[in-house]
Amino acid sequence: MATFHERLKPRYAALGILFLSVLGVLLVRAWSMQVLSGDRFAAAAENNRVREITVDAPRGRILDRNGEPLVTNRATLGVTVSPSVKEDEEMLYRLSVVLDMPLADVLERVTSTREAALKPRLVALDVPMPTVAYLAEHQSEFGGVEVSVVPVREYPHGVLAAHVLGYTGEISEESLNSGEMEGYVLGDLVGKSGAERQFESVLRGEKGYRRVEVDAVGSPRHVLEEAEPVAGRDVVLTLDLKVQQVAEEALLGALAEARADDFKNARAGAAVAVDVRTGEVLAMASVPTYDPALFIGGISMRDWEALNAKDSEYPLNNRAIQAAYPPASTFKAITGMAGLEYGVTSLGHSYYCEGRWTGMGEEWSKFCWNRRGHGRIRFTRGVADSCDVVFYEIGYEFYKRDREELQAFSRRFGIGSPLGIDLPGEVAGRVPDAAWKAEFNANYPEYRQWLPGDTVNMAIGQGDLLTTPLQMVAAFAGIANEGNVMRPHVLKEVLDSKGEAVRSYEPEVAFAAEVSPETLRAMHNSLLAVTESGTGVSAFRGFGARVAGKTGTAEVAGKDDYAWFTAYAPADDPRYAVAVVIEQGGHGGAVAAPAAREILAVLLGLPVEHVQATDVSR
Amino acid sequence: MTSRVAGVRKWANLPLLLTVALLLLYGAVVVHSAISGFSAGSAMFQRQLFGMALGFVALALMWTLDYKRLEGWLGPLVVFNALLIVSPRIPGLGGEAKGATAWLEIAGVRLFQPSEPAKLVTIVIMAIVISQFKGVIERPRDVMRVLAYLALPFGLILLQPDLGTGLVFIAITMGVLLVGGVKPKWFLVFALVGVIGVGVIFKGGFLAQYQEDRLLVFIQPDRDPRGAGYNLEQSKIAIGSGGLTGKGLGQGTQSNLNFLPERHTDFIFSVLGEELGFTGSVMLLGLYLALLMTALEISTSSRDLFGSLIAVGLISMWTFQILQNMGMTMGLMPITGIPLPFMSFGSSFMITNLAGTGMLLSVWARRSGV
Repeated sequence: MATFHERLKPRYAALGILFLSVLGVLLVRAWSMQVLSGDRFAAAAENNRVREITVDAPRGRILDRNGEPLVTNRATLGVTVSPSVKEDEEMLYRLSVVLDMPLADVLERVTSTREAALKPRLVALDVPMPTVAYLAEHQSEFGGVEVSVVPVREYPHGVLAAHVLGYTGEISEESLNSGEMEGYVLGDLVGKSGAERQFESVLRGEKGYRRVEVDAVGSPRHVLEEAEPVAGRDVVLTLDLKVQQVAEEALLGALAEARADDFKNARAGAAVAVDVRTGEVLAMASVPTYDPALFIGGISMRDWEALNAKDSEYPLNNRAIQAAYPPASTFKAITGMAGLEYGVTSLGHSYYCEGRWTGMGEEWSKFCWNRRGHGRIRFTRGVADSCDVVFYEIGYEFYKRDREELQAFSRRFGIGSPLGIDLPGEVAGRVPDAAWKAEFNANYPEYRQWLPGDTVNMAIGQGDLLTTPLQMVAAFAGIANEGNVMRPHVLKEVLDSKGEAVRSYEPEVAFAAEVSPETLRAMHNSLLAVTESGTGVSAFRGFGARVAGKTGTAEVAGKDDYAWFTAYAPADDPRYAVAVVIEQGGHGGAVAAPAAREILAVLLGLPVEHVQATDVSR
Repeated sequence: MTSRVAGVRKWANLPLLLTVALLLLYGAVVVHSAISGFSAGSAMFQRQLFGMALGFVALALMWTLDYKRLEGWLGPLVVFNALLIVSPRIPGLGGEAKGATAWLEIAGVRLFQPSEPAKLVTIVIMAIVISQFKGVIERPRDVMRVLAYLALPFGLILLQPDLGTGLVFIAITMGVLLVGGVKPKWFLVFALVGVIGVGVIFKGGFLAQYQEDRLLVFIQPDRDPRGAGYNLEQSKIAIGSGGLTGKGLGQGTQSNLNFLPERHTDFIFSVLGEELGFTGSVMLLGLYLALLMTALEISTSSRDLFGSLIAVGLISMWTFQILQNMGMTMGLMPITGIPLPFMSFGSSFMITNLAGTGMLLSVWARRSGV
């Protein structure tokens, strides 16, 4: 009966072994997954369910000194396109029709390599509602296209003060990798230039985040943890909107006039106004300018190329701090004071200008701008009439003393080094000396020798001397401020969320020139004579305040003359200093001085009027 | 007192009943956790309890029925089995689920999945056919005869198409053949046929695209993690993240946040693994060990080869389903729609497993020496 049991016994055993092995394999597998790799899978499960959403902090505003907003924020509707659909030209074509923009522009933005690889590209901003509605209704036909609310910078005054304000853009991969920009991720908006860049750490605020539990289709179930973003702080600049406006208009006016007056190449210039006692910058203008709004949502390649084209005069450059020019005769203020301080000259010293100077020998003769000659002339008139011969003599004396005292004295006023203004990109300019020349011409032994002409040229602000407009205005402010050159700055204060100042800029002396009161007084009087009876007289005729200033007309190889005017006012109790440079604009007294007059007028509360002036000095 | 216990023991296998009771309880707890997040969760759970109740009726019926009476019904059973399998295809009776015609429907009311009872009928058919050889199957024509009885239900189930159930039929046949006395060399032949069969199925276009994807993903899991590999990946994350002791009942994030597909049916073990951890897995495997061991004991204590092979068929069915289901959730087996015995949600499946338990008890109650 039960014979089959015995016979089949091994087969039952085989069946038992079979299911034991199955259970054993499953047990081992469960052990390996749940015990050995449990942590890895647990992390994967967390990663599945938890999404961290960062909430960008509103960027702080930038205000002028009176609280007038210069840069604010607004929310607008933008259309973004995922770069994953960049091949779908047919769809992008339809999108370009809907957005009413050229296909080439759409393609350019979608294929832009200036942004993070996977980040949706912003293709259009300020999209009108009907377009948004159309895209929403036809969502399935526009894969990878999304409409979202985009916070963007707004510039209520357009291009005004663009160089000081700067622009924002997506953080570059280089600066991310450099390690300087901690706490940023690809795609974050950062200040790229100007105040936006300088005060980035204050303006940016703190990102908020929300850790949400999401389900398999990604819809949030509940918030696990959240932190509200902390808005960036408002930055109050020292700029005065009204003064800035006048400065920019004055620059443009001066350029237009120069062009009308036979200086066809006059296309660029700069103007700066500072408070002589504090170093506050009330206006800083640079022409040509650019529109910071072009950078909203990423600048187009075409616009970027236009801003950097060879013949564009480089509108992104802030010439007030980034361009170094020969200061020409405005520098005679420095040379003159140096001469007085070192006893190289004196108020009573009498010079004779016959239009031509042969102090270094007949073969090295040089001319005064006034070829007919100034005749017998003393120090004060030498400044007022900008007589080159007087300053050739002073320069030559310095050369003969061979102590580089003119260079040392220049540096005491901040010439040749950055003044440390709180804006990025300030250049140092150059005070030439023997050591510099030897190194500069290291490969040309015959040019390494410091020659008498080098000092003589420097004395009239030419030769290898280079200064920024900011350096000249700061130096003149220093003359007006007992020889103390205040550090120029654009930051007035930082506001908290209630509008209270949490940080104010404390004025500080950048360079203490330590010049005797007698020398300062002598120079002051000489500079007054410039506008009252000298080369600047026609520009300041009928002005309601006394102005101490100096004209300059710089020779630049291969270019038309650069017009300079640097001044401070009111003369009795100096408050403001102004410098104006008009590249290839001609004569300082004729072109730059009238612009400076307009800026001084608005600073002093005088009527702003444009005057026609003449000046033929250098 | 003792005599009464002994009297019960005579016809009731208490370890089996206890094991099945614990499995049902365990399954109910895990299914309850898995479906509690569904909007229809409580209604579904009631349906599951109702399925269990029907399952107990089926168990009782099978228990009281003398299995020996089935031995003479080979012909009718074969016809009945074929009818069961094709019934969803009969106009007016069928209903679809996930691309397969799997439900018996009358007037729009879903009754049950005929493929489930068909597994039991196939076990009985195989037990009848193979027991006829008295434990010696040597001649090819004998093997062919057995395979012919497999071919009919297998062919019909592939037409549904329901590859998973077809594989269960094969597993049953192989298990019964193993114990039923087939020469070991035949398994080599079967393996060869299996390999060729897989090739034909793949290349012959017998698979739906989704089935082919699932198989390819099994071979290469990271092939398409967002597509066909998604289920497997999420299941593995769920089980692995359970760790040693699990996240706690109802606390599984993979399960509650819908990362797990089919979590109350095919992927119920993923929920168990996530919420009860390795401890829970060991408990389940322990219960399955007890189930299979008692079934093996019943098989060897059967008074005749037919009853023994019925038990062997049940062991083969359960072993294969446990391997296939748990294996697929842990990435050891390709994904096919095979539920986990006594655990997965589904009434037809539950009734079938309990009816199978009833058959085991029927064999036990009529064992030799009683």
